[in-house]
Amino acid sequence: MTAMHTTEHKKRGAVASKDRARSGLPRSRPAISLSYVILFVGVAIALVPFLYVVSTSFKESTSLFSYPPDWIPSPIFWGNFESLFADHPFAQWTFNTLFVSGAVTALKLWFDSMAGYALAKMEFAGRRGVALLLLLSVAIPISALIIPMFFVVRYLGLLNTYWALILPPLANPLGIFMARSFIVGIPDDLEASARLDGASEFTIYRKIVLPLIRPGLVVLGMFTFMLQYTSFIWPLIAVQDSDRQVLAVGISGLQSAFLQDWGLLSAGMLAAAIPITVVFLLVQRAFVFNDLSGALKE
Amino acid sequence: MTHIDPGLTGAQMTLSSEEHRRLAKRYRRRTTLTAYAFLGPNLVAFVVFLLIPVVWLLVSTFRTGGVLGPAEFVGLDNWRDTFSDPLARTSIRNTVLYSAMAIPAVFIIAMILALALHAIPRGGAPIRVALYLPTLQPAVVAAFIFTFVLHPDFGVINYAVRWLGGDPINFLGDTTLALPTIAGIEVWRGTGFWTMMFLAGLTALPGELYHAAELDGAGAIRRFIRLTLPLLRPTFYFAVIFATIVNLQLFDSVFALTDGGPVNSTVSVSLYIYRSLFLFGDIGFGATLSFLLVITVLLLTGLQTYLLRDRK
Repeated sequence: MTAMHTTEHKKRGAVASKDRARSGLPRSRPAISLSYVILFVGVAIALVPFLYVVSTSFKESTSLFSYPPDWIPSPIFWGNFESLFADHPFAQWTFNTLFVSGAVTALKLWFDSMAGYALAKMEFAGRRGVALLLLLSVAIPISALIIPMFFVVRYLGLLNTYWALILPPLANPLGIFMARSFIVGIPDDLEASARLDGASEFTIYRKIVLPLIRPGLVVLGMFTFMLQYTSFIWPLIAVQDSDRQVLAVGISGLQSAFLQDWGLLSAGMLAAAIPITVVFLLVQRAFVFNDLSGALKE
Repeated sequence: MTHIDPGLTGAQMTLSSEEHRRLAKRYRRRTTLTAYAFLGPNLVAFVVFLLIPVVWLLVSTFRTGGVLGPAEFVGLDNWRDTFSDPLARTSIRNTVLYSAMAIPAVFIIAMILALALHAIPRGGAPIRVALYLPTLQPAVVAAFIFTFVLHPDFGVINYAVRWLGGDPINFLGDTTLALPTIAGIEVWRGTGFWTMMFLAGLTALPGELYHAAELDGAGAIRRFIRLTLPLLRPTFYFAVIFATIVNLQLFDSVFALTDGGPVNSTVSVSLYIYRSLFLFGDIGFGATLSFLLVITVLLLTGLQTYLLRDRK
């Protein structure tokens, strides 16, 4: 067991300490030029569709269907955004989404790092069984569980509440294994000496483990937040009250209401894209997008 | 490296073997309790929101009703209904076809972009952010964005088609084009995510190996096939399994764009499950279809694990 941890640690340590592999890779000038061309095309395909949204959101619906399409709306029309906040609970949806995603992320980081610590570092009866059970449940498709989940949440009296949106995602076990893979890399000696000094497991977790796995937790947190921010099918089912709804479902309702108001829909999409983009840009610096793939090794 | 075992402190010398065994046992019991305390919140969530639902599903496949009237045991009726329902078969076929199109496409495109990002000396950060923007959008938003892009009248693609002298294409209104179009939209949204994943894998590769390979005269393509791909096996393992689990649950973009149409050509399993609960209220049927989806994903994941295992 200890030997396994140590080799894992050495491997991870080697990866972290050596120069990025890039420096070792021979690159010719044409290869670099070709890479820039490929990336330019990729970025264009990623971004051009957004131009439609930005352009349409500032147009009055009557001028939408001019042909050929004019990209820059004149005059700039703010009515779509006014309607979004005046006629629809858009601010409420945004708050709900941020609140629910934030709560799920915070709770999951806390619970998953604790569970990951237990699985990585503690010897206890039933360890293999628990690990196997949780690993198997990674492969359970959540959208196949919407019917029973609906009845469980109804039974608990939580339909139409924030709890209905926050609690079920906590059962997603993927984060446990990601956290475990970060913690396995911490040398056993560190905890052993703290344990000799009389530190409790919780103190070791809080004072030694948590600070050491912070970079990994940032990635896991962003991943969890994004998954939650974009979740759709469960909020659609668990919440009927428009005031409790999240952005993704709220926006899809803008379209199907009675007629297709493209201007309003675009304004909604643009406004909904802003918070998550800001969050992403904020953590982007810390985002050494490192391997989450270590999670499923066992 | 000095390794101090907490069990081997000076105090041990003075203990009788029986006392030592007793203390060791107590220590193990305490560790087990602590471990389960650490696992507690996750185990509770696991039982309430995964285990109970799955068991509930299994039981419901043998029952009918439950929404208005009391549930009744009906034996294998639901299973017979599900297997003989043509739309259930169509939904399974559509979901599998969709995954077979979307997963290889997004992996190949993301791998090319990751290799390109890995090769460039500077400018990577803003490019990564730009590539990642589609991934940050909910699937319904991506879907609506593409109703603009693909629109027969004012979409940019049909603008190009007309300019080239062709007839505008109704991507989402055509029974053969609708499913590939939805796959394409999901590829657009997923590319950023997988590019970053593959880039992380590439960045962690040992550079010395490449030096050696280059000295041996291996060309770029040969190096990629003989070195990079095998070394990235752990990344691919995670990618294939995760992508399979996610893609077989296709729902959001279908719900937002076509609602299964035209002529059921885009009905996915998840959409049909949703309908069975909220449109025609047949819980037994929906539960059976759900249970089938669970079993399919579990089996596929197991098969992939077997095929992608480390052969040493």
